[in-house]
Amino acid sequence: MRKRTFNFTTLSVLAFFLLIGASWYQVIGVEKASLASLFSNDNLQYAKKFFSGLFGIGQTEVAFFNKDSWSDAFRLTIETLQMSIMAIGFSTIVMFLTVIPAARNVADGSLTLTRKWYRWIVFGLIRISYIFSRAIPELLWAMIVIFIFKPGILPGAIALALHNFGILGKLCAEVIEDSDPRPVRNLASAGASRPQLLLYGVLPTVLPKFLTYILYRWEVIMRTTIVVGFVGAGGLGQQFKLSMSFFHYTEITLLLICYLILVIIADYISEKSRFFVK
Amino acid sequence: MSEQNMIEVNSIEKRYERKIALSSLSFVVKKGELVALIGPSGAGKTTLLNLLASLLEPDSGELKVDGKPLSQYADRRQRARKIGLIRQQFDLVGQLAVIHNVLAGRLAEWSLLKSFASLFIPQEKDKAVDALKRVGLEDKLYERTSNLSGGEQQRVALARLLMQKPEVILADEPVASLDPARSEDILAMLTGLAKQENQTVVASLHSVEYARKYFTRLIALKNGDIFFDLPSHQVTEQQLQELYQLKELN
Amino acid sequence: MLSFDLHKRKLLTAFLLLLFAWSLFGVNWQEGVLHSSGLGTAMEIFAAMFQPDLSADIIRLAVHSSWITLAYATAGISLALILALVFGILASGVLAGGKGSRKMMKGFFRGVLGFMRAIHELVWAWLFVASFGLTPYAAVFALAIPYGGILGRIFADMINDVPEEPIQALRAAGASRLQCLFYGYLPSVKASMISYTMYRYECAVRSSAIMSFVGLGGLGYQIQLSLDDLHYDEVWTFMYFLILLIILIDGWSNMLRKRMAL
Repeated sequence: MRKRTFNFTTLSVLAFFLLIGASWYQVIGVEKASLASLFSNDNLQYAKKFFSGLFGIGQTEVAFFNKDSWSDAFRLTIETLQMSIMAIGFSTIVMFLTVIPAARNVADGSLTLTRKWYRWIVFGLIRISYIFSRAIPELLWAMIVIFIFKPGILPGAIALALHNFGILGKLCAEVIEDSDPRPVRNLASAGASRPQLLLYGVLPTVLPKFLTYILYRWEVIMRTTIVVGFVGAGGLGQQFKLSMSFFHYTEITLLLICYLILVIIADYISEKSRFFVK
Repeated sequence: MSEQNMIEVNSIEKRYERKIALSSLSFVVKKGELVALIGPSGAGKTTLLNLLASLLEPDSGELKVDGKPLSQYADRRQRARKIGLIRQQFDLVGQLAVIHNVLAGRLAEWSLLKSFASLFIPQEKDKAVDALKRVGLEDKLYERTSNLSGGEQQRVALARLLMQKPEVILADEPVASLDPARSEDILAMLTGLAKQENQTVVASLHSVEYARKYFTRLIALKNGDIFFDLPSHQVTEQQLQELYQLKELN
Repeated sequence: MLSFDLHKRKLLTAFLLLLFAWSLFGVNWQEGVLHSSGLGTAMEIFAAMFQPDLSADIIRLAVHSSWITLAYATAGISLALILALVFGILASGVLAGGKGSRKMMKGFFRGVLGFMRAIHELVWAWLFVASFGLTPYAAVFALAIPYGGILGRIFADMINDVPEEPIQALRAAGASRLQCLFYGYLPSVKASMISYTMYRYECAVRSSAIMSFVGLGGLGYQIQLSLDDLHYDEVWTFMYFLILLIILIDGWSNMLRKRMAL
C-alpha cells in the first residue's frame, strides 16, 4: 500500500514538472516571447513615460493633490465598500439556504438519523451549482451579469456573490461534515424534531467557523471588487477603467491608493473580528 | 577511569520569575563517568541539563566543559564535538528518512553543499549503516522516521550521536515515553556505547531503579539543591525515601 | 465570562447585519435595476446553457484556448513557487541570528509579501501590459507576483509552526541555520507546501482565464469575443471547458492530498 502512495506522489510531481516544462515551451517556444525584447529601448521609454505619468511628474493637473478628486475617490471608495458587503451578504444568504442539504452526512442521514431518498438528488444538484459557481471567475460572471442589469454596484455585487456562494457553500458544508454527531444523536434520542436538531445541535457548533470563513471571503471579495468594476460594475474599478482609457494616469494612482487602503482595512478588520469571535 | 575533569559546575543559580529553579549548585564530573540525575519532578533536573546544553543561560555561576567555560564554545563545530544531546523522542525530523536523521550527526563537519547533496545522494553512507547496525536498525535505512516506534526512534537518535561522537552526552529523560522493556533496551545501549567510546554521560531519569542499574554515580536533586551525590552502590533505601517524600508527610 | 462571550458574538452578528442593510442603500432601487430587455437576455443566456455550441471548430478552439490558459497558469505558478520559497523562508526569520535581526527580517519580508498580494493579478497584468506591451510574460509575471505573495506568506507561517524540539536537536548536533533549513524545516513542511500549492494552482487557472481582459489570449478571451457577438451558446462551450479544467485540477490535488496525508 505504501509503495503505491509513493508512486502516485512521485508521478504527480513528475507530471507537474512536465507540465511546467511544456508551459514554458508554449510561452517561449511557440509564442516566441523573448525576455530580452521586454527590456528593449522602446519598452524602456514606454515604461518610463507610464511610471512618470503615474507619479504625476511633469504634469500640471495632478489628481492626488486635488481636493475634488479626493472627494470623488472617497465617494467611489464608499461605493466599493458597499458593493463588497452586499456581495458577501448575498452569498451568505444563498449559502445558508443551501448548505444543510449540501453536507454529505445530512444527505446520507447519518447526522439526523432519518433517511429520505430525495436527499441525494438535492445534494447532487446543490453540489453541482457550487462547482459551477466556483469554477467561473468573478470577472466572467460580471461580463454576463452586466448584460442583464444596469451598470452600478448591484451587478458587481451579484457577480461577486455568484462566484463566492459556491466557495462559501463548499467550505461550510465541510464544516458540517466534520462536526461531532454525538450531541445531535443525543438530541434526536431525546425526541427533537429535524428543525430543532439543526437549531440546537448543529448550528451553534458550526456558526463560529462559518463566520470565520465569511470574513475570510469578504477579505478576498474586497480585493476583487476592483476587477468586476472593470466591466462597468461600479466602484473604484469602473473609474479605474475610464481613467485608463483617457490616459489620466495620476487619477489611476489616486484610485490605486484608495484601493490599497481598502484592502488593508479589510485585512485588519477581518483579522480583528476573527479574534473577537474566538 | 581517568582523572580529567570533564564537567565543572561552579555555584550556578537559575531563577524563573520568582521561583528558584537551581540554587548555588556545584559538582564535578570526570571523564568517562556515567552520571544519573534523579529527584522528584520540578527538582531542577531538566533546567540543569538545559544549562549544560546552553539552551539556557545561568543567572550566576560558572559552567566549564573540558576545562573551558561553556560560553567559549561559540563555534558550533567545536561545541558539537564536545557535547551531544538526546531527549524524549521528539528530537528527530519525522518526515525525513532514517538515514538522513542519522547523518544529521555529521552536519557540523559538513559544508552546506555536501549536506544539501546528501539529501539526494546520501554521503558517508557506510558510516551511517555502521551506526545503525550498532543500534540494530540496519534494515530501516530508508524508512520514514515517523513510521518507526518510539523505541526505534530513540535508537535512531543514538545512531545520530554515534555519528556525532561528542565527548559528553547529555540525556534528558531519554526513556520517559517508553515502556519498561524498551527503556532498559535504550539505557543499556546508551551506557554500553558510551563505555565503548569512553564518553561521559549525564542523564536525568525518573526511575531510580534504572539509574542504579546502568549508571555509576547518582546526583539527587531536591528543590534546586543537591540532596546527595554518591556512587550508585552506596545509595541507601532510606535516602531514596527521603528524596521522594512528599512535603505533607514531613 | 461565558455570557460575555455569547454577547460578544451576538453583538458582532448584529453589527454585520446592520452593515449589510446599509450597503443595500447604495443601490438606486426606484429606477429599476434591470435593462429594459434584461429579463429576455437572462432567459436567452439561461436557455443557451443547455444548448452549448458543440461544432468541431468551436471545440478545437476551446481545446487550444484551454491549453493557453493552463500554460500561463502553470508557468505563472512555477515562478510564484520560486518567489514564495525565497521570500517565504526569509519572511519566516529562521535564517536570522539574533532576536532583533530576526524581528526586522520578518517585518520587512512580510511587508514585501503583503504588498505583492494586496494588488490583484489583473491590476498587475495591466501594469505589465502598459509597460511591456502584449506579451505572454505579462500574464506570467502578473500571476507570479500575487500568487508568490500568497504562497510565501503561508510558507512562512508553516515554517514558523514547525515544532522546536527537532530543530534544537539539530542545532545541538552542530548544524548551521541553513543546514537546519534543509534537514529540519523544509522536510517538515514539504507535504503541506505541496498541498497548498496545488490548491492555489486551481485558483491560478481561474485567474489565468481572466487575463484576456487586458488583451492576452486564452479561454476568457474567447468568452469575451462570443459575448460581444451575442453567441451565448459558444460562451457556454468555453465556460464548460473552464469548469472541466478546474474540476480536473481539483480532483488531482484532492487525490494528492489524500495520499500524502497517509
